[in-house]
Amino acid sequence: MRRSNEFAVGLAVLAALALVIGGALWLSETDVNQKQASYKARFRTVGGLGVGAPVTLRGVKVGRVEAIRLVENEWVVTDFTIDRSIELPRKPAAISASASLFGEWSANIIPLEPLPEDPIIRNALIESDRAGGEAWPGATLPDIGQLTAQASRIAGDVGDITQRIGQAFDSTALKNMQQSVKDLAAISGRLVTFANAQTDRIDRVSENVATTSDAFAGVAKTFEGAVARLDTATSDNQLRDIVDNSRSSSADLRHAAADLRSVIAAARANETSLVRVLQAADSLMTRIEAGNGTLGMLASDSTLYRETTRTVIQFRELLTDIQANPKKYLKISVF
Amino acid sequence: MTPSAASRVPPGEGFIAHVGRRSLEAGRALSDVGTWTPLLAIQMRRLGVDSVPIAIFIAVFTGIVLSLLSSYIFTGAVPMYFVGALVGKTVMMELGPVLTGMALAGRVGASIAAELGTMKVSEQVDALETLAYDRYSYLVVPRVLAATLMFPVVTAFAVAIGVGSGWITAINLLDLSTAEFLKGLKQFYQFKDVWFGLVKSASFGFAVALMGCMRGLATEGGAQGVGQSTTSAVVLGCEAILVLDAFWALVLL
Repeated sequence: MRRSNEFAVGLAVLAALALVIGGALWLSETDVNQKQASYKARFRTVGGLGVGAPVTLRGVKVGRVEAIRLVENEWVVTDFTIDRSIELPRKPAAISASASLFGEWSANIIPLEPLPEDPIIRNALIESDRAGGEAWPGATLPDIGQLTAQASRIAGDVGDITQRIGQAFDSTALKNMQQSVKDLAAISGRLVTFANAQTDRIDRVSENVATTSDAFAGVAKTFEGAVARLDTATSDNQLRDIVDNSRSSSADLRHAAADLRSVIAAARANETSLVRVLQAADSLMTRIEAGNGTLGMLASDSTLYRETTRTVIQFRELLTDIQANPKKYLKISVF
Repeated sequence: MTPSAASRVPPGEGFIAHVGRRSLEAGRALSDVGTWTPLLAIQMRRLGVDSVPIAIFIAVFTGIVLSLLSSYIFTGAVPMYFVGALVGKTVMMELGPVLTGMALAGRVGASIAAELGTMKVSEQVDALETLAYDRYSYLVVPRVLAATLMFPVVTAFAVAIGVGSGWITAINLLDLSTAEFLKGLKQFYQFKDVWFGLVKSASFGFAVALMGCMRGLATEGGAQGVGQSTTSAVVLGCEAILVLDAFWALVLL
């Protein structure tokens, strides 16, 4: 009996131990057969990465995070175990990133070269790589929580603004708004009354406008007729003849203008001679005016004029006498 | 000390003296290894191994209900592989130890209180002392020690069965694959989840057995006194489990 008790208890204890130890090893994915290799990565911060988080390569889980610890120079070092059969990039780096919206994080293995285009990740990897050592360079992507926190802050600001608007629209402001609405309604009523009163005038104006429109229509019709006639004249080539005549006249005018220009050019060319003639004439006139010379004396002394006139008269009388009595003055002889 | 002198002792001093006396008795009983060692295996069998079926029964249904409940909670927004995480964490850290402890409080605590109470009222305890057996070494230490050692064993079975039944439920009754369930189970697993539950269950075993022994040895009267002691032992055991559960949550989490 005692042996059976001991056997039963021993069996139960051993079975429980096996369950606990085996289950713990299985659940923690402990590498009993040394199928996994250990690596390290160095981060400034690991974000939400925790022990047990998956390590992925191109989206496929290849290991898990075994430990996370703070080290000198404000670095955080994480220990990974990765299946030995996995072919890693020649120079690997680790990116700690949120794996879902539910707080899960994973460490993603990427090749360090070429560096990612994201400047934050690129700088973080360069800084971590510069620290040297066997640890892979690591960088952490922003957490979705940070984005939601930002959104939360924005929502808070919106809430503040809403609250302030609510405070601004207190009971007094509401009463003022109600009064404004009432005033607006009264003004609208007056406008309606005014519009009704002006309806007749507006109708008359509308009629006048209609009459004017009719007159315009008549004018338009007349103009249309004129245009039609013009169109007809155009069709008989009369307008073309007019235009041709005008064109011919214009050519004549151009010729006349050209002749005038040549005359003017000739006059301009003989300008010196003219000036000289005019100067000579001026000198002659001056002398005449001064009474010098024959013409001057004739111009200034009336006696000469009278004598000349008498002479002319006598000459006419002589001519008359000669015509009347030619033999008195002419004597024709052959020998 | 005469009764009149005892009545003049301040209450606090009386409690301290009581604790001191019990501690000395416990030390003396523990040191009496030759008395309690032969009885330990028997008590471990009775209190532990024989309690495994009821613990497994409870764990099976706990795992089923947890799996269905978590799928009901997570439908829509949360990925279904969280069912594995919730079942694993909850069974390992809370429901496994506590429900097993409650069940054993009824079974073990009642059994101990009834047994020792009957021995007390039938003066078998006095007979043992007449035969130079220390009552604590012979009756209390093997039971308390056996319960403290075996509760974690029973809880380990319960946890394994609970997680397994949750797993089977998830892949058969829910739209969940084994890979998804294990993904959630493993992703959030920490070794602390296991030892936290086992430490708690050990403390539960200690408390349940101690309450049973205390109430049993304090039994007065006849069968009615035995019944009262049994009831009292179960109630105190359950209360102790809940208080200790909160205590360990505060201390260890």
